[in-house]
Amino acid sequence: MSAVDLRALRGSMEGFCASTLCTCDEEGLPNASMISQVHWVNEDHVALSYQFFNKTRRNLLATRQACVQLFDPSTLAIHRLDLDYVETRTSGPLFETMKAKLAGIASHHGLEKVFRLLGADVFRVVAVEQVQPPSAPPACRSVSLLTAVRACVDDLARCRDFDDLADAVLDGMVRHLGISNAILLMAECDGRLFALGSRGYAVSGIGAEILPGEGVIGIASREGVPIRIGHMSAEYRYGAALGAAARSAGLIAEEPPGVPFPGLGTPHSQIAVPVMAAGRVLGVLFAESDEVMRFDHECEDALLLVATHLGAMMALLREEDAEETPPAHVPAVLPGGGVTVRRYPRDDSLFIGHDYLIKGVAGAILWRLLREHTTTGRTDFTTRELRLDQSLKLPDHAENLDARLVLLRRRLEERGACLQIEKTGRGLFRLVCRCRITLEEVGKADAIEVA
Amino acid sequence: MAILAYATPTDDQIAWLDAASAPDLLPAHLVAFLQCGVSITLGACGRTGRPVVGSGVACRVSGMNTVRVLLSRRTEAAVIDAVEGGSAIAATFSRARDHRSIQLKASRALVRPVAPDDASEAARQCALLADDLVELGYARAQADVYALLGAPDLVSLEFRPERVFTQTPGPGAGAELPR
Repeated sequence: MSAVDLRALRGSMEGFCASTLCTCDEEGLPNASMISQVHWVNEDHVALSYQFFNKTRRNLLATRQACVQLFDPSTLAIHRLDLDYVETRTSGPLFETMKAKLAGIASHHGLEKVFRLLGADVFRVVAVEQVQPPSAPPACRSVSLLTAVRACVDDLARCRDFDDLADAVLDGMVRHLGISNAILLMAECDGRLFALGSRGYAVSGIGAEILPGEGVIGIASREGVPIRIGHMSAEYRYGAALGAAARSAGLIAEEPPGVPFPGLGTPHSQIAVPVMAAGRVLGVLFAESDEVMRFDHECEDALLLVATHLGAMMALLREEDAEETPPAHVPAVLPGGGVTVRRYPRDDSLFIGHDYLIKGVAGAILWRLLREHTTTGRTDFTTRELRLDQSLKLPDHAENLDARLVLLRRRLEERGACLQIEKTGRGLFRLVCRCRITLEEVGKADAIEVA
Repeated sequence: MAILAYATPTDDQIAWLDAASAPDLLPAHLVAFLQCGVSITLGACGRTGRPVVGSGVACRVSGMNTVRVLLSRRTEAAVIDAVEGGSAIAATFSRARDHRSIQLKASRALVRPVAPDDASEAARQCALLADDLVELGYARAQADVYALLGAPDLVSLEFRPERVFTQTPGPGAGAELPR
């Protein structure tokens, strides 16, 4: 192995331009070609994109050796790597990371219908030769990423609860990491994710849902790895723009219920990093930009550090259950008028009047509170009783409940609903109803009215 | 930036048939393509049997059948050593703006000194490639280095192509263009 640390060559593997590749057949006849993607795997491995069964592929399977040349667009250095084939991966984190990156590259070159990842060919790097020394200083960042991460972590360390954490991490991304558009999403057990907060958009999108495996966010969550795209790709695009286009073309009839995803219409760079703790994905930090190749390997390192620290803090700061039963709260006399809260049991979605509010576990929690309020008049609750309530089908991990309560509270706040949730102490909260509320389970005849 | 039409392997096959010439001669459109300022990827088999990748700076064709790829002795020592050790040669020529790519292969090549006017022709072809890259979004410094503008210590790798392949991305990429 050469003295050159492969980590120093990550800048050559950002996908700025195609790399070149040579393989030989069993008789030693060479084949020279371009390769869309050389992906940095670790200190002594890289992966090449396998897109077609061609001469290169046949040679690789026969001789298991390759030689690639890489160009660093930042330092202008050129390196040659001798590679020994190890294996091909056709699924899993490495494959998905490369697939997403390739989609961006293909789109950038007008080859979206031509390039499709069939596999990630993993190679051990057996030698590195510097063909051309660096002739430009590495691009200087306006902010040192290490300093920026330190500032983010410092902010997180001052948080006292999950609510604070959610704001601190998004503010830190903007203020310290210079990211203009960011979203924090929390994962449900079934792989869906819900936006808990955002920065840089006209609307917050709190409560917006990402389906399992959808776009860079869904894949980052499913695979537990960062997913990064340096160019716009239709395949990985989010946003209301697509739905609006489909509606105007008559492809879909009406807007589905739910909060529209707040993403940029035509992002040129996207990155999603998983928020993990104890081997579980709790959510995803997402950032995007109008700029091409805005997020590089080092940005990814920085965001992953922040996300990992967030995950640890979420586990650490989980709401402790209140020791005592909350004092009975006497509800104020409600003014006239009222609203109907409707529940669709199919997906636990709740509507206030005819306006969508929330669904999933957060929807189930609110419905549980409203029903209890209906029958007993109770307004003060504990997180402990929710945790113990089997009917909510809550996951085993406490931070999930905290995240859902925050999501629910923020969504109600944003809607300016006559229903609000207020935190009244550690593990304690209050349901505040400012008008008369009627509950209606869609599909059931009887409506229950809150007294 | 203008919207560019991308080349396809079928374009190469049609052009090839349209220009069918004597079997040992390269068609005129290909000779023009090879010298129009394209990036050149070289492949050889090293003395240890390992593949070696390299870069050519420019290309000159004489007699419609002899190709000379100019390359830097300093940076391409590995390719030159492989060829001097008896390796076959593969050279892929790619045009940046439409991805049209053609690969030539020959069972042997000779390393020769450059001709007096090779350096100025190399500079012309590199400048064309660099300009294409700038138009595609490269910074000038990136384009100049990528296009190997001003590469030192040029030598020439001379061979008579025995087989020609289309390497343009798309269905049919890699197909041999029969002679």
